[in-house]
Amino acid sequence: MKVRFWGVRGSLPVPGPRTERYGGNTSCVEVQSGEGTRIIIDAGTGIRGLGKELMRSEFESGKGAAHILVSHTHWDHIQGLPFFSPLYRAGNQLYVYARHRDDVHLRTVFKEQTTDPYFPVPFDSARAQVSFRELEDAARFEIKDVRVTCARLNHPYVATAYALVADGAKVAYVSDTAPFTDILFGEDFVPGPPPPDFALPKKQREQLKAMRTDVVRLCDGADVVIYDTMFTPEDYRLLPHFGHSRPSDAIEICREAGVKTLVLYHHAPDRSDAEVDAMLAGARELSGRAARGLQVIAAYEGLEVKVGK
Amino acid sequence: MEVTFWGVRGSIPSPGPATVRYGGNTSCVSVRLKNDDLVIIDCGTGARNLGLSLLAGPFGQGKGRATLLLSHAHWDHIQGFPFFGPLYVGGNSFTIYGGAKTPSLLEEILEGQMAAQYFPVQTFKNMGAKIDLKALAPGKAVKVGSASVRAALVPHGKSSVLAFRIEEDGRSLAYASDAGYPAGGAPAEAIALFKNADLLIHDSTFTPEDRARRLSRGLASLDEAVDAAVRADARRLALFHYDQDYSDHDIDQLVARGKRLLEEKKAAKIELLGAAEGLTLKI
Repeated sequence: MKVRFWGVRGSLPVPGPRTERYGGNTSCVEVQSGEGTRIIIDAGTGIRGLGKELMRSEFESGKGAAHILVSHTHWDHIQGLPFFSPLYRAGNQLYVYARHRDDVHLRTVFKEQTTDPYFPVPFDSARAQVSFRELEDAARFEIKDVRVTCARLNHPYVATAYALVADGAKVAYVSDTAPFTDILFGEDFVPGPPPPDFALPKKQREQLKAMRTDVVRLCDGADVVIYDTMFTPEDYRLLPHFGHSRPSDAIEICREAGVKTLVLYHHAPDRSDAEVDAMLAGARELSGRAARGLQVIAAYEGLEVKVGK
Repeated sequence: MEVTFWGVRGSIPSPGPATVRYGGNTSCVSVRLKNDDLVIIDCGTGARNLGLSLLAGPFGQGKGRATLLLSHAHWDHIQGFPFFGPLYVGGNSFTIYGGAKTPSLLEEILEGQMAAQYFPVQTFKNMGAKIDLKALAPGKAVKVGSASVRAALVPHGKSSVLAFRIEEDGRSLAYASDAGYPAGGAPAEAIALFKNADLLIHDSTFTPEDRARRLSRGLASLDEAVDAAVRADARRLALFHYDQDYSDHDIDQLVARGKRLLEEKKAAKIELLGAAEGLTLKI
């Protein structure tokens, strides 16, 4: 499997000299199996660059197929799709996957992104054939030679983690999620940090514990885990209600799951290149002490990682 | 009046080494009036940096007030709204003018962006600041501080957008992003709005060649921007809303070509510049 990063940022795209090295585009990761199956995880603004590259392949002549796994539909994970060139070429086939919701169909979520007055080109006029597949929590399915498993994450309005197994290797994508300790996120708006003396009800604690167990299982033995490490410890102290993790949370999960490489991902918009460097150095120092054998790298636009055959 | 550019790009933010000089954020311009009154035009991703800078002043203490003018609701003109820090500080107060026929339509549009499936805050009522929504009727002038603000509808492909004129003490700024004129160029109402502007910020998404290939997008080319400035006898022209694929080098060439065009039209007295993030102009 070949993994390539096209967008590594969270919240919103951040152009400018401070983000030149790691990149300012929002979340998008491309995975290609040895047999050529094309999987794209998330459709932030990074997918625009991927689309341009794909138009130099079978997608140019309308013979391309790609499977887009969406972690959740917050803007930074879907806002690039209307700018994905293969969408506008007849014959291309796109399959979009995301968690099932009771309140709104996945197709509607995407359709409304490109409706008047927000966008001039309605989704239904896209010439590629687009199919939607809604997933249950803990879904398992196959995309040609790639086995996909899912786990629920702890994020406002809920997100999904994916693990891809192919070519004798495993890659997991765990974004966006808060740690599984302080707040249980669901459908409701969480206005601020819990009060200092707040104790989670037992039922919620158990739910979080079970969720964490599922995430560790999803990552079990993975060659690569791409993890939401948007926050420093200080950020998390101030903003636990935003639903993002620290490198230490990711390292703990990866250590338990016996992961080979952790990729720090979904960098905060404020994080300059130098600050991501510092975060990476801190994470390596921590993993050296707490998770010997775990390699830690930080995602940047253009990073390519090959695993398995 | 002091004008600062926070986002100068069209369609979608375009981060990367090729855009660091002019900037990759989508449309946002701030106008500081006399007595420190603040007008913000459009709310693309550039609004995030504007917000960060404002939080250092009264907006950080919940004592800020500003007027936001929205040309239209395409993403690149509103997508910075959920990330505009001063909106999250209680006590701050914003008046938002849009081209929607009624305030409730404008509310629906902005709320659509905040909905739970797209953004964790779910509604702008959770943001903290006081938000007053208003419909701005083309042709009618409204007061902001000691300035007067007027709008005109200009074509944008099959739809239309608001262009703005801000006047204070005999000085004037005109803003026309996403103008996409039919053959013959800017209509008379647009030229009237731009007339003798000290600064005209005008859509210049494309070179004439690129525009010819993408007519359906309803955006202006360099020569249309120049033509509008000449016809309106503007003093300065700032090219704006660049195509997401244009590099800094491409924009340098666009600017140089615009200057040559002005010379050919015997209008070299109009000063032409390329809008860039962080650039401040005094009017």
